[in-house]
Amino acid sequence: MDYGIEDKEQETLVRLRGRLTFNDHAKLRALIREMLQNKAKRQVLDLSTLEFVDSAGIGMLLIAREEMANADKQLVLRSAAGQVKRVLTVAQLNKIVTIED
Amino acid sequence: MNDLPEVPGLETARVLVVDDNRVNRHLLQALLERGGVTRIDMAEDGNDALARLDSFRPDLILLDLMMPNLDGFEMCRRLRAIPAWKDLPVLVQSSLNRAEDRAKAFAAGATDYVTKPINAVELLSRVRIHLQNRALLHDLQRFHERTESELSLARKMQERLMPSPERLAEVEAAAGVGIAAHFAPSSELGGDFWDLRHDAVAPGQGQGRTMLYMVDFSGHGVGAALNTFRLHAICQQMDVSGLTPGEFLSTVNRRLCALLPNGQFATMLAGVIEPAENRFVYASAGSTRPMVWAPGDAAPQLGDSAGLPLGLLASAEYEERSLPLSPGGRLFLYSDGAIEIPVGSDVLDEPGLAALVAERMGETDGARFLDGLLDRLRAVGPIDDDLTALLLTRKG
Repeated sequence: MDYGIEDKEQETLVRLRGRLTFNDHAKLRALIREMLQNKAKRQVLDLSTLEFVDSAGIGMLLIAREEMANADKQLVLRSAAGQVKRVLTVAQLNKIVTIED
Repeated sequence: MNDLPEVPGLETARVLVVDDNRVNRHLLQALLERGGVTRIDMAEDGNDALARLDSFRPDLILLDLMMPNLDGFEMCRRLRAIPAWKDLPVLVQSSLNRAEDRAKAFAAGATDYVTKPINAVELLSRVRIHLQNRALLHDLQRFHERTESELSLARKMQERLMPSPERLAEVEAAAGVGIAAHFAPSSELGGDFWDLRHDAVAPGQGQGRTMLYMVDFSGHGVGAALNTFRLHAICQQMDVSGLTPGEFLSTVNRRLCALLPNGQFATMLAGVIEPAENRFVYASAGSTRPMVWAPGDAAPQLGDSAGLPLGLLASAEYEERSLPLSPGGRLFLYSDGAIEIPVGSDVLDEPGLAALVAERMGETDGARFLDGLLDRLRAVGPIDDDLTALLLTRKG
């Protein structure tokens, strides 16, 4: 997995690319640190170019959600497609994270 | 010599000096002693050296090449053919200094090479480096062996989370089902397990009820495995007899929420066979989609499995759903390792798995069905997650 960060006026947009799995733990930790340093309240993860997420990857997204909440920020998961969308749907993560199309 | 770094264990290291020249042997002995090596043995040729190996048990050999009877090249080859000595550092010291001689010595199994006349500082430095490497390698091997034996013990404990053949046979008989199961963690330990509970009822009040469940913790390896032990303990303590599958999941979830750190969760499916209604009634916490089929069906029917995974939200409720399961019918449950196998830029996913299941539905033997399906899955692509699969057949 790799990512690019774009600072917008109202929100920070982070585009995730590739596969988010067990092996990306260190990278996602680094990303969470960067997101915490951003001023924007809304931290949006754009998942449109994320091809695959496994259960450990979902776990890391949930850690990101909690870390943002602790810092009074909001995590948004946006534009999931394919397998990623199916996983988010079956796990009904919209009950605990903001998910946008 | 005193400015060289300390080598732990140098004073206990054993060095075997192999040289046919008595003066050379004593020169090397004196040199080693000055460098702090105290346990030194000496051999006059290759045969003498090989004969001393088992009694002296060297940590390093200083080897001359040109010797009568058995020369250094041949001695080195024979040494390397003995498994116990294949990693022993062999430092060649020779007056042969052509590149071909060095190459020949390394080909015979030498670790390092210095040419005569001996430079004392260089020789001692190399001896120290090789002894240090050997000590590190030894520590690493011991650590590796210990870890391996602990993991293998833990793996046996984890296998015992699942029903023993005896208990399984009892439940199969009581519940009128046959069960074939497969459990394959991606490393020694995994985050999956399954179990079943049969509650007998008073005589004359029917067959009793069997609750079957399958769990898949996020991640894999030791961390996920520890969580399977926690969840197993929670389920064992519970009286499930009065609970619907949905109530069972929400109770387990509440207990798990208090235990799991953020970012860890489990998917789970729990269900009961309702013989009178010929249905499998289940609830799902984000598990994979259960599949059922009846004899003669062309394809399996997939059930809905949407639901919040366990451990994320204490107030979560779990919807009850059902699938038809008549006598002779089959239920197939599996962990997500079976559907996350890469296929091109996508994954196999449930429809892909269902198609592979459909090819094999005619196989009446449950174990053979699973074996064939798993072989087929391995042919699709690498499976790098835990894979648990369970096939239940209702006896007709």
